[in-house]
This record gives sequence, C-alpha cells and structure tokens, in this order.
Amino acid sequence: MKVTLVSRSGREVVKGGIELEDSATVKDLQEAIHARTKKYYPSRQRLTLPAKPGVSARPVVLNPKSKVLDFCEKGNSDNLTVLFKDLGPQVLYSTLFFFEYLGPLVIYPLFYYLPLYKYFGYADTDRTIHPVQTYAMYYWCLHYSKRILETFFVHRFSHATSPLSNVFRNCLYYWTFGAYIAYYVNHPLYTPVSEIQWKIGFAFGLLCQVSNFYCHIILRSLRSPSGNGGYQIPKGFLFNIVTCANYTTEIYQWLGFNIATQTVAGYVFLVVATSIMTNWAMGKNRRLRKLFDGKEGRPKYPRRWVILPPFF
Amino acid sequence: MAGIFSTVKRIYLAIYNWAVFSGWLQVLIFAIKALNESGPAAVYDNVEKPLQLAQTAAILEIIHGLIGLVRSPVSATLPQIGSRLFVTWGILYSFPETRTHVLVSSLVISWSLTEIIRYSFFGMKEALGFTPSWLLWLRYSTFLLLYPTGITSEVGLIYIALPYIKASEKYCFRMPNKWNFSFDYYFASIGVLGIYVPGSPHMYTYMLGQRKKALSKLKAA
Repeated sequence: MKVTLVSRSGREVVKGGIELEDSATVKDLQEAIHARTKKYYPSRQRLTLPAKPGVSARPVVLNPKSKVLDFCEKGNSDNLTVLFKDLGPQVLYSTLFFFEYLGPLVIYPLFYYLPLYKYFGYADTDRTIHPVQTYAMYYWCLHYSKRILETFFVHRFSHATSPLSNVFRNCLYYWTFGAYIAYYVNHPLYTPVSEIQWKIGFAFGLLCQVSNFYCHIILRSLRSPSGNGGYQIPKGFLFNIVTCANYTTEIYQWLGFNIATQTVAGYVFLVVATSIMTNWAMGKNRRLRKLFDGKEGRPKYPRRWVILPPFF
Repeated sequence: MAGIFSTVKRIYLAIYNWAVFSGWLQVLIFAIKALNESGPAAVYDNVEKPLQLAQTAAILEIIHGLIGLVRSPVSATLPQIGSRLFVTWGILYSFPETRTHVLVSSLVISWSLTEIIRYSFFGMKEALGFTPSWLLWLRYSTFLLLYPTGITSEVGLIYIALPYIKASEKYCFRMPNKWNFSFDYYFASIGVLGIYVPGSPHMYTYMLGQRKKALSKLKAA
C-alpha cells in the first residue's frame, strides 16, 4: 500500500509517498519516514488522519502500535493520506526532569556554603547559621535527590519525549525559584521561627514526602512496562479519596517546608506550584471521568476529591 | 437587549478613545512648544500632568481586554502598558533627577505620536464604523520607527535612573523581618531592563505580524 504524507499546508513531505507492506504498523511507517527525511526521527513526528470537511472532532492520532491498514477507509486499502506535523527537536522526559531538578539541587547549597552574600552588599554582616537553616538545606537536597532518583527508577512516562523548548522553560522556572528561595532561607539576616514550629514543619513535610513516594510507586504499577500508556482508575492508599494524591502530597510537603522556614519567597513558590498542579489535576480528572463513564461495561469513576481536600 | 448593549459599548469606546487621544495631543503640543521655547530640559515639566493622565488611563485597556470589550490579547497589551507605567511613575515621577535628560523629549514624542495615531484609529472605528486607509497605514507603519526610538528612550531613562534609585533606598523593604522578605527597587529595575531583552523583539515581531495581516486585508479590499 502507499501512504501519502502531507503537511498542514498541503505540501508533500515525502515526494512520491511511502510504499509499505499491508501488514505494516505505524511504527514501521515512522521508521520509513525517518529513513527518507533524515531529520524527522519518530518521536518528532505527529501523524494524524486529515480532518473530514465539516467534521470538527479532535484529529485521530496514528498510534505506533496499530496497523496502518486500520486507518484506511473501507474499500480503499491501497492508499492512505496522513497529515504530518513536526513536533520539533525532542528530549527524553527523563532528560528534561534531570536537568530541571539538578539546578535546585546544586544552587541551594551554593547559597548555604559559599560566601555569596557579599555580592549582594552584605560583606560586613556576620553570619551565624541557625539550626533550621541547616535542616532546611538537608530537607531541600533530600527532596530534589528523591525527585531525580524517581525519574530514573520509578516513573513510567506516558510519552517518551518532550519538546526541547520545554527544557529551557522548565529549567528557568525551577532554577529561578530555587535561587530565589535559597537566597532568603540562607540570608545572613534570616529570622528563624520557634523551634517547635520548624520541627512540626519538617516532620509534616517528611511524612508527606514519604507518602508522595508511595503514591509514585502505586502509579508506576498502574502502567505496564511495555508503556501501553492506557489509563486505569488509580486506587489504593490516598488514591481512594483523592484523584491526584501524588500532587496533594507534593503540595503539602512544600507547605511543611514553608511552615518550617517561613519566607515570602517559599510561599510564592507554593502558590505558583499549587496552581500549576491544580490545572493538571483538573485535566486528569476530566479525562478519567470521561473514560470511565460507567457505560458499555466500563467501570464508573468514583466520586473523589480532585486534588486538595477539603477544597476540591 | 443585545442591540442596546453593543450601542452603549460603542459610545463608551468612542468617548474613551477620543478623550485619551486629546490627552496625548496635548502632550505632543506642549512638548513641541517647550522644545521651541526652552529646550529639552523643560519638556517634562510642561507635559507632566497630561502625560500622567493619558498614560494611566491606559489601565482601562487591560480591563477592556479582560472583560472582552475589545479583542486585543492581554499578553500584548500588558507588557506595553506595564513598561509605560513603570517609566512614567516609577522613574520620571519618582526620580526628578531624570526629568531634564534629553531622552525625555524623544520618549514623549515617540509615545505621543504613536498614541495619537492609535487612539484616533480606534476612535474613528467606534464612532464612524470605518477608518480611512491612510490612518490604517499610519497605525501599522509608524511603529517601525517609533518602537525603536520609544524603547531606546525607556531603556535609557531606566538606566540613567539606576544610581539615583540605589542611593535613595526608595520603595525598598529590608531584612530582617519575621517574613524573611525583602524588596530592592534597584535590583527590580535591573530585572525590568532584563525583560526588555526578550520583550522588545517579541513586541516588534508581534506588530510586524499585525502589519502584514492589516495591510494585506487592505489590498484585498
């Protein structure tokens, strides 16, 4: 069979199309495209069926595991036109996460250990390190080390890759906030809270970090190793009451850190991170409820808190 | 009901645009007069009140965009109005030492020319339902020169204000305090200068895109 590959502007991406065996999978098609176009490796390709005129449904994406024949129209199994979009240079999700998290892990201790404050005009300020500042540094480094380890050993990603531009955007976010918070917590004029307050803050934060880790383990077991990427109803532990318990524990973990260290910078970060995760959680909840609508033998998605009991 | 609402909207927008237009016209006239009679150092004192009024009125435009009264995306209007308000109030008003600099003249003339064209453009659209093609051309062409001159003036004035900002400690909030918070206006101003680096090309290319769209529509018409 022949596949004609066109871009959105109608231009033929591969002149003359691509000849394939009838038994070919989409993965075979992607590799053939890569062989003909050199720069478009498979993870950069987004292949969809052209929209039918008048139909405004979401475009059908060609799943690499499916057979190409599945997407042909009935009665026309010799020819298929596929829409091609270049997603731009891609990086592995694990690469993206590693660099995002490496920044805060390295930057924070710089403010703790090195005499950087003289560059901010505090050359002659004496610096006594409060215990809470030392524990904050350990807590922070533990958190980002945990994240890096989870990236390589725990998480199973639904998409293998992410656009390169996300590396710059995400690193900017994490690294800037990391430096912003580190600057204030390690400041020579830092004012610590009471001992009982920071002890409670860190203890609560650690408890949430452990819970968060357990949530990630549960999520991992929901996805098969072959990366089918299919959705399942999360259950067990906190997932029985909250859809995105992993985000919940992450948010409360930062709250613990802020209760202990009390900086406006830390709370600003908490608010921004919470709003980002809440956005993701609402999207995930919507997808799960749509998928598990209780019809045609599918289970119905149970009523649960979305992300932040007792708010929503 | 809907008909009445859109008429009221049109009347309101027409009044708004022509009112702000007259403010900027005043700014331009006073500026040129001051330049002729006294020279660049006198420009600010002669335009201060209409400038502050006309520029601050632009806050309404963000609200118009947010509530859907106009189609302009907030992402394009917010940085422009933000930088204008910062320079008007945060630099010129707050640090009088900057007011006699020659860049104030280029700033005021760039801003007022741009705004006179822009507000009359929208004012005609709302009041008369159309704009003459020469005005459309002006609106989408003068920025080619006035954006660079305006941005250079803004950046230049912020830069020359920096030593005064540092020395005055104005708008600064210092540590220690129990919320471990500080705000340093000097660093914040440097941060604003930093935003101009990606911000200026972004705004300029946005306008280039708008120009292409608008002028091709003109050809087609």
